[in-house]
Amino acid sequence: MNNDTAEALRLDQESQVSFSQLVILSGLSDDDLRELVDHGALTPVDPDASSWMFTSYCVVVARKARRLRSDFELDAHAVSVLLGFVERIEALENELHALRAGALAYGAATDRFSR
Amino acid sequence: MKYKDYYKILGVARDASADDIKKAYRKLARKYHPDVSKEKNAEERFKEMAEAYETLKDPEKRAAFDQLGSHAAGQEFRPPPDWGQQFGSGGSFDPSGQGSFDDIDLADLLAGLTGGRSRGRTGGRPGREGPFPGSDYEAMVRITLEQAFHGTEIELDLSVPEYDERGIAHRVPHRAKVRIPKGVTDGQKLRVPGKGGKGFQGGPAGDLYLDIQVQTHPLFRTSGRDIYVDLPLAPWEAVLGTSVELPTPAGAVALKVPSGTRAGQQLRLAGRGLSRPGEKSGDLFAIVGIVVPTVVDEKERSLFRELAEKSNFDPRAHFKQGAAA
Repeated sequence: MNNDTAEALRLDQESQVSFSQLVILSGLSDDDLRELVDHGALTPVDPDASSWMFTSYCVVVARKARRLRSDFELDAHAVSVLLGFVERIEALENELHALRAGALAYGAATDRFSR
Repeated sequence: MKYKDYYKILGVARDASADDIKKAYRKLARKYHPDVSKEKNAEERFKEMAEAYETLKDPEKRAAFDQLGSHAAGQEFRPPPDWGQQFGSGGSFDPSGQGSFDDIDLADLLAGLTGGRSRGRTGGRPGREGPFPGSDYEAMVRITLEQAFHGTEIELDLSVPEYDERGIAHRVPHRAKVRIPKGVTDGQKLRVPGKGGKGFQGGPAGDLYLDIQVQTHPLFRTSGRDIYVDLPLAPWEAVLGTSVELPTPAGAVALKVPSGTRAGQQLRLAGRGLSRPGEKSGDLFAIVGIVVPTVVDEKERSLFRELAEKSNFDPRAHFKQGAAA
């Protein structure tokens, strides 16, 4: 077994992957991926470019699409609608999390520092 | 090999129809699918029910499962001697009954009947024309805020299926040493190329996908790349202003608190949040709380009384304005 330390790569909005890389990494076919783009579930960085590039975060979305499609036995349209809802829920959760993080944990602070 | 009662997992009777099995699976999948559920242990529960459904939805696998008999969940068992011959590829499991089943998972045993369950990109396994990439693995990794802030190296020990030359999956330990880059955030997904399962017939190794969870910290909270810390101040510190030593994940820094600071106010320390090379760093926010002493001695009480008598500050002046309007 190879015991070298491997670098973990972020899947985020900063780095990009090509269409063919996204096919390999997601386990979806070319057609599946094009269908998800048609339904708006995935958006290339430049939709008008001759060869599409995607942010590496799209790897997370495309793999999620593959799981949802096979685990719920859904078609591409249903997967896209579901992904849209999941994305909205995640955005709301992030907003709620940010509000909670930015609010004073007043009770804890008072308990800790009161004498 | 440990027995799993797939009927019980899906909550259906052993004579349930295919339609009832599908309905039961869909109902449970809606509740526990890790991509849509916030239930506790959703991933674990979903894996279990997906494995049950994978077997029970396939008439051949279901028949093979039924032939294994009924045992208590978790009970050690081995297939009957003629089970393998009856169900094709199972013959390779040593029908003499002398082989070891210790590292074989029930789902992998049943998957061997019909070409296997899909894992990772393609679920690559021998017995098909290659080359095939190895399976992708997924793992959740909990790290401290300090590790997220500075970056860290972790060692992961996973139990993964590895296929032998007959296409039978055996559970084997899989260790991976991974460098987590600095500045990862809670919920971030990472890909570690080549640290998944071995490829077949010259195919590349699969990848390892990590789901980062940043542990709750006693002092700090995070939101994306921003870090928040409560800053309790005494009333006189808030009124007069002060200088405090503020803890940050990179060590304490001196923070000047301006006079007239209010409770709930956020004092921003630009660029002291989570940072990544070449990208804008997050900020650190000190959230001000005014903390009052609950026990005061006679001298302090006297000073507060004197302040109360001499101060013309009215924190409820707006009540009167509201009443007049």
